[in-house]
Amino acid sequence: MKQVEDSEILEKFSNIKTRDEAFNLLLNKYQQKIYWHIRRLVIDHDDTDDLVQDVFIKVWKNLENFRSDSQLYTWIYRIATNESITFLNKQKQRNNTPLDEVSGELEETLVASSYFDGDKIQMKLQKALLKLPEKQRLIFNMKYFDDLKYEEIAAITGTSVGALKASFHIAVKKIETFMLNEDITF
Amino acid sequence: MEENLENSEWMKGIKEAGFTTPSNYFEELNDSIRARMITERLRASVPVDGHTVPPNYFEQLQLNILAKTAKQNTASRQTKIVRLWRSNVLKYASAACFVIIAGMGVYFNINEQKATQNNNYTETATEQMLFDIDEEVIIEHIEANYKDQQKPTAKETALENYILNNYSQNDLTGNL
Repeated sequence: MKQVEDSEILEKFSNIKTRDEAFNLLLNKYQQKIYWHIRRLVIDHDDTDDLVQDVFIKVWKNLENFRSDSQLYTWIYRIATNESITFLNKQKQRNNTPLDEVSGELEETLVASSYFDGDKIQMKLQKALLKLPEKQRLIFNMKYFDDLKYEEIAAITGTSVGALKASFHIAVKKIETFMLNEDITF
Repeated sequence: MEENLENSEWMKGIKEAGFTTPSNYFEELNDSIRARMITERLRASVPVDGHTVPPNYFEQLQLNILAKTAKQNTASRQTKIVRLWRSNVLKYASAACFVIIAGMGVYFNINEQKATQNNNYTETATEQMLFDIDEEVIIEHIEANYKDQQKPTAKETALENYILNNYSQNDLTGNL
């Protein structure tokens, strides 16, 4: 199926008569991408379900005021990223969890999840990712799984390309070391 | 060693040709190539992350989101915004009313203060006059003016005495 252009979605959304149609097109185009982006950060399916709905409600409310000086998908990704990080921070505060122990909680969620059917190496990679600081995990996910360019990630996170590259290289090194220590060769 | 020399000669040639690179480019290039090699190998072993969703989840998700946006739409349609200042006439009329009410408030407040002051002066003057007149004169004046008033009978006097002997002032004021 041919993907509809963002400009077409925006144009249809600006007309009250075609607004619902435009939003349907937007959901078809982005809901899965945004779901997986959030899911890789918060791990739990139910939490992701709540967050992805919140994100698209925000998109619905603010799309009218969206200015085309940034791209639509980076704008939606940015909302999703902010919502996910806010959620994780609230979770830390609620559970009085020290920053370095959050990965432990997410790892428990991953192991107990009925919506994870990865094999041994997939589980190890997820565990390795959960050992990373939040920002490195975010950048690795966007580069590795979403296949986004550094410039796109920079627009989403508001970080310079140079800093992103450095973070990604460090993340990759850490993952390699973790995997080798767990006797996983690839 | 020879290779390094060759490299530096080659670099020199490029620089001389007018090309430049971002600062620290060659230091970062090494890291970039290494990271790329690792991720390529990793991607071959782990192309997907292993997370799953319930069956038909995305169809249901879309319906849920659309239901919520429809609800928002209805709510925003029902919330009718009424403009407080529809026209200039209403605006000026309201301002005039406010000025009149405020003016009347100020006027009556000043008058009331004057009346209270007058009353206070009258009461003080009367008290001062009574103080200056001899007590005997006052008693004679009252007796002369209230001759017709009935004098208390013995029965009433006895009752009065009984009350005064058996009840304190507090009891009496409490029961009044």
